[in-house]
Amino acid sequence: MEFTQRDRSRMNNKVIQFVRFVVLNLAILKGVNHSKRS
Amino acid sequence: MARIAILGAGFAGHTAALHLGHRLGKHHQITVVNRTDKFSFIPSWVWVGVGHMPLRKTQFPLAPVYRKFNIRLIVGKATEIHPDERYVLVEPDSGAEADRRLDYDYLIVATGPKLDFEGTPGLGPENGYTESICTGPHAEHARGRYLEEIARMEKGETRRFVIGTGHPGATCQGAAFEYISNIHKDLKKRGLRDKADLLWLSNEQAVGDFGVRGVHVKHKGTLLSSREFIEAAMHEYGIRWQVQTGVTSVEPGVIRWENFEGAKGETPFDFAMLIPRFLGQPMKVLDRDGADISSELLAPNGLVKVDAKYGLPYDELIKTPEAWPETYRSPRYPEIFAAGIAFAPPGPISVPHTTPNGLAITAAAPRTGMVSGIIGRIVALNVAELVKKGTMSHGERMTEMYAACIASMGDSLWDGAAATIMIYPVVPDFRRYPNEEGRDLFVTHMEMGLAGAWMKRMLHTTFMYKLQGRFGWRLIPE
Repeated sequence: MEFTQRDRSRMNNKVIQFVRFVVLNLAILKGVNHSKRS
Repeated sequence: MARIAILGAGFAGHTAALHLGHRLGKHHQITVVNRTDKFSFIPSWVWVGVGHMPLRKTQFPLAPVYRKFNIRLIVGKATEIHPDERYVLVEPDSGAEADRRLDYDYLIVATGPKLDFEGTPGLGPENGYTESICTGPHAEHARGRYLEEIARMEKGETRRFVIGTGHPGATCQGAAFEYISNIHKDLKKRGLRDKADLLWLSNEQAVGDFGVRGVHVKHKGTLLSSREFIEAAMHEYGIRWQVQTGVTSVEPGVIRWENFEGAKGETPFDFAMLIPRFLGQPMKVLDRDGADISSELLAPNGLVKVDAKYGLPYDELIKTPEAWPETYRSPRYPEIFAAGIAFAPPGPISVPHTTPNGLAITAAAPRTGMVSGIIGRIVALNVAELVKKGTMSHGERMTEMYAACIASMGDSLWDGAAATIMIYPVVPDFRRYPNEEGRDLFVTHMEMGLAGAWMKRMLHTTFMYKLQGRFGWRLIPE
């Protein structure tokens, strides 16, 4: 597998990455909630 | 009044201290013994090692924090545990007699790893020829050496960098991967990338193993392995790689190794950062008569035996999720707990390998900051319950644990990157998830991009805030 130009653009596109930043934080918080039960 | 002793103020020990201080600090005696008077946010030492962050920004003094939580701090080294009489002997930096003997009702061993540079002749910055980012002073030394290499490249020299693992049984490949990635990005920014040959040298079965047997994720409708993903990243960064390799010794400018097939070879280098094997801290465990009873509490590697099933062959271990500990409590001494890197895992997560010459080359199981913090919290909650109610109700095996790992691949908030890896569970459970991975493929996720760089920097800031026990600290997850 190699990164395509589209992959490279996506990885540094500020708008896309801002959305990913929000989504990843929410995903981590959701995952962490599972740990909280312990 | 209960007496709780915590050895170590890293992610596990310090997290345990804060939770215990919050719950018990006013009415019970909590004492932390730590080698230094500071907490260190170790993940950011990657950036210290390339000169992008000063060491002081990764540390804060412990005493003011512990004062808030009614915790006593002894700066020094624990040297002996006397579990039958329930006390620890300490060599305090202050030399104060009152700090030499620490009696306890509950003991939490969270001493982190002994960095076993001696396990590989020629390894390490103190008595060897390689660098390290495993301690603050080492990271600063690595920065100094790195800048020397920069100066040579600026004069037109081509230099060889070798980054990875320095022992066949080493762990922490993630940190080394971050370091080589940040070196690449820094050299690119300086316009020197063409003057550097970067080689990734590790004991992993494959690139992207990271000691957790790799990760599979769904990507554009297909199953993508971390091997494919990280190989693509390394290819993108122009980093060569050599895995399935155990470093056996280092001499000036030469790394000697043996690979999975038993072939022996050597790799020249100008700058090398190789992670050593992790062992338990050298503490004696003695009975009333002074006889050594280490084997009652410790595994042969010096890590603390807890409620795990030890001795299972790998094929059986991988099918036995309950072999992984749940409460991190010593079965022999129920008032002793071990948290973070200090507990002995029942075995590796990654597939072990022995060469035809009998050399075991196996990436050891990592315990990241998040996992260590979670275990520290679990142990603290259990000790608090034991003190208050005499029972405990908290537990979480690494086969049930969710963890997020963000591997910096360039710290610029404008054009940096990081690999964000969410893994559930940390240790595969093939019973619950009968797929190739043994993990929940909806939750387990991996991606690379600028968002990860933002998250990595945010982690630094929020954890430095949280771990100083500031307002709302308990709302921030480990």
